[in-house]
Amino acid sequence: MWLPVLGLLLGLLLGFMSDIRVPPEYANYLSIAVLAALDTLFGGIRAHLQGSFEDKVFITGFFFNILLAAGLAYLGVHLGIDLYLAAIFAFGVRLFNNIAVIRRLIISKWSDSRKKA
Amino acid sequence: MKERQFMFATIALILGGMLAIQFETTNNPVVRDTRDLWELRADLEKEKQRQQELNEEFERYSELLNQYKGNGKDEKIQAMEKALGDLKKQAGLTTISGQGIVITIEPFNEELIGVGQPVPKIDPDMLRRLVNELNRYDAKEISIDGQRIVSKTPIREVNGNIYINNEPVSSFPIEIRVLAKDNEKLHQKIIASPAVEEFIRENFLVESKQTAKVILPAFDKDMKVKFMKPAKEET
Repeated sequence: MWLPVLGLLLGLLLGFMSDIRVPPEYANYLSIAVLAALDTLFGGIRAHLQGSFEDKVFITGFFFNILLAAGLAYLGVHLGIDLYLAAIFAFGVRLFNNIAVIRRLIISKWSDSRKKA
Repeated sequence: MKERQFMFATIALILGGMLAIQFETTNNPVVRDTRDLWELRADLEKEKQRQQELNEEFERYSELLNQYKGNGKDEKIQAMEKALGDLKKQAGLTTISGQGIVITIEPFNEELIGVGQPVPKIDPDMLRRLVNELNRYDAKEISIDGQRIVSKTPIREVNGNIYINNEPVSSFPIEIRVLAKDNEKLHQKIIASPAVEEFIRENFLVESKQTAKVILPAFDKDMKVKFMKPAKEET
């Protein structure tokens, strides 16, 4: 349970320490990619709680979603359409859904364990 | 199970890194230095000058410090009095004289303006702009129509009259006395300055001449200090 949190903190620390900065032209892509990564992570947590987790799906989903989102944003820039909005919308909705499901699962688990006790 | 934890941790690590980088990027983006050679040189020159000024200031203060530290009460008092005198001089509370320039402003004569035209009026903004420009050309001390310009001097219009230091400016010609670091340069520059052009556009004749001795009166009003308090001594 604590290992992923530790990983997140370590990642944040590394990111802040390394002082790497993306040129402003690419900042958009990175933000989309971050959103995609967040979505995948929460999707993974949900799948884990529902017991339908699969390693391959998770890992491929993570990278593929990031690439797809960034690619969509790139395509949008070149076509003159704000395609990144599509990605933001899709990921945003899914993020909310996933978090809602996670919350429900945790609540039901918690009340189950209280009933047993 | 353990494997899955590691997988999550790795993904979280990547996500954390991405988040941190994105955060850094949005909060302090990379600013490119686009100055060309000349701009860099000018900036370098500016910084050098600043360094020199700071060094001079440092020397002055360390000298003052030595005087304060010096033995004997008299010397201390002397040093303090000297410092006070210097500050008063800086604030414009003393009469000062020296080589300077005198700028006179008066309306063009009637033939130029046209008979029957109203006498042109000075706008306080024009005077303010002129003072700003004088300061820009390294004027050290300025007085307008017998009123010393200090840091708090108001120049404003009340009922159609110009008031400087809350005293009405008497009739034309208005005389501006200036002491400068380099009188010759100031004289040349002010004649061609935009502020003077503005005066000419408003039908005023502006003349500047260098004078061997100009006397600038002291600022004779109360210096009201509203927001300053004596600093507590740090030991």
